[in-house]
Amino acid sequence: MLLERRFRELLEAAPDAIMQVDADGRIILLNRVAEDMFGYSRDELLGQPVEALIPKELHTRHAEHRAHYRQHPMTRTMGSGLSLEAIRKDGSRFPVEISLSPSESAEGFRVTAIIRDTTERRNAEERLRKVREGYTQQLAEANSELEMTNRELQRANRLKSEFLASMSHELRTPLHTIIGFSELLGEKLEGPLNDKQTRFVQHIHKDALHLLELINDVLDISKIEADRLELRPEAFDFTALIAESLASVRSLADAKSHVLETTSDVPTAIEADRLRIKQVLVNLLSNAIKFTPEGGRIGLDARVQDSFVVVSVSDTGVGIPPEEHEAIFDKFHQVGATTKGVREGTGLGLAITKRLVEQHGGRIWVQSKPQEGSTFLFTLPLESAERESQGA
Amino acid sequence: MKKVLVADDKDTGRELVRTVLEKSGHQVFEANDGEQAVAEALRIQPDLIILDIHMPGLDGFGVIEKLRREAGFSHTPIIALTASAMMGDRERAMAAGFTGYITKPIRLDALRAEVERLLA
Repeated sequence: MLLERRFRELLEAAPDAIMQVDADGRIILLNRVAEDMFGYSRDELLGQPVEALIPKELHTRHAEHRAHYRQHPMTRTMGSGLSLEAIRKDGSRFPVEISLSPSESAEGFRVTAIIRDTTERRNAEERLRKVREGYTQQLAEANSELEMTNRELQRANRLKSEFLASMSHELRTPLHTIIGFSELLGEKLEGPLNDKQTRFVQHIHKDALHLLELINDVLDISKIEADRLELRPEAFDFTALIAESLASVRSLADAKSHVLETTSDVPTAIEADRLRIKQVLVNLLSNAIKFTPEGGRIGLDARVQDSFVVVSVSDTGVGIPPEEHEAIFDKFHQVGATTKGVREGTGLGLAITKRLVEQHGGRIWVQSKPQEGSTFLFTLPLESAERESQGA
Repeated sequence: MKKVLVADDKDTGRELVRTVLEKSGHQVFEANDGEQAVAEALRIQPDLIILDIHMPGLDGFGVIEKLRREAGFSHTPIIALTASAMMGDRERAMAAGFTGYITKPIRLDALRAEVERLLA
């Protein structure tokens, strides 16, 4: 019959297994895919209860499901059910997806089942799950490694600052008595010294003070490098600080017969770390004094421009060639290396000065022509940059 | 003549301060650790104490904590002497009850001035 043949062709062309089961759950129709899927021949399956294709432990439940379905028949589409398991003739099991459609005719109730073997898909899902788990685990491992590194870094940083504190203490302790006793001897309260002895004691005292300065510089740069230099902003009288800074370099300037001049036009109070700004001023002034031949002119000027104080320290010294204008702010760069000048210090002074200014939210630069002198300029925000960012 | 107690675990440090203060006309007593500083202070009842902060065992902070609880020591001027130059050390010392603060290396005039200020 043509219709029968057409129906067969259709049945066999389907990529899925197709079966029909009667009201009692017996198999009454199946296609070739179903034979291959379950490993039975058509004759072996026809008339058999459909439970033959279901693992034994599920037989009772499946019979109940079937009875329930008979009472409430409805089309159930592929994938809408739970993950199901089927069993082959050889006893091996495999995952399936089943869609069901009920039909009622003169020949009675029937259910058409379309069955799809989902082994491949399940394997793919399993592989994907494993890959995902692998990534998750790798991420977790990388994360815990990072956490460990972080803890180690914090520990190293803490050790470094403890080391700095104890170095500072250990180096100052012997300097304390060297500086103190040499000053005491120089005062001659314990008895007279001849000229040579006086000079020797002065050498010890002066060089011990120099050593103290170097130690302070090295500690400062270490703190800066370790990001441990904390500013303590406060409101203070800038004009008074200028006077104080000039006072502390006056003896140096007098020794070289320099003229110290100042012009200042700054509102009384600015907000910054007073001690650190004094360090900046004293450092720039001592440099100017150091690198200017005797009888020079050292000027300190401060004025307000917008929301900044602009400070300039000028000298009539040897000047700095243009190619060095950037490099002089680098660590260990010494102007004396290329210019006839005094070679002493750590070469850290300007590097520290620059960092102190920048940490305050200002900037520093130099204007200079060889043989005409140099002017170092720096800016400072009138209000503490740190406090502003804290308030924001 | 005022009585000054100097506590420092380094003998050179003690001798330096002793020499300066004796030249200024004061009577100087010494202690080489914290426990001894407390005992000497109770014994001699000094007008001024100069305490090194970093001493093994009972340090300067320990000494001042003990002394400030003793009768007659609530207002004794006590100067902290320290070789540490870390930020916040001065504030910590003042909060602990010190009345003066001098860093090592000392400048002799600064030491003299601080001593005379507190003994005045």
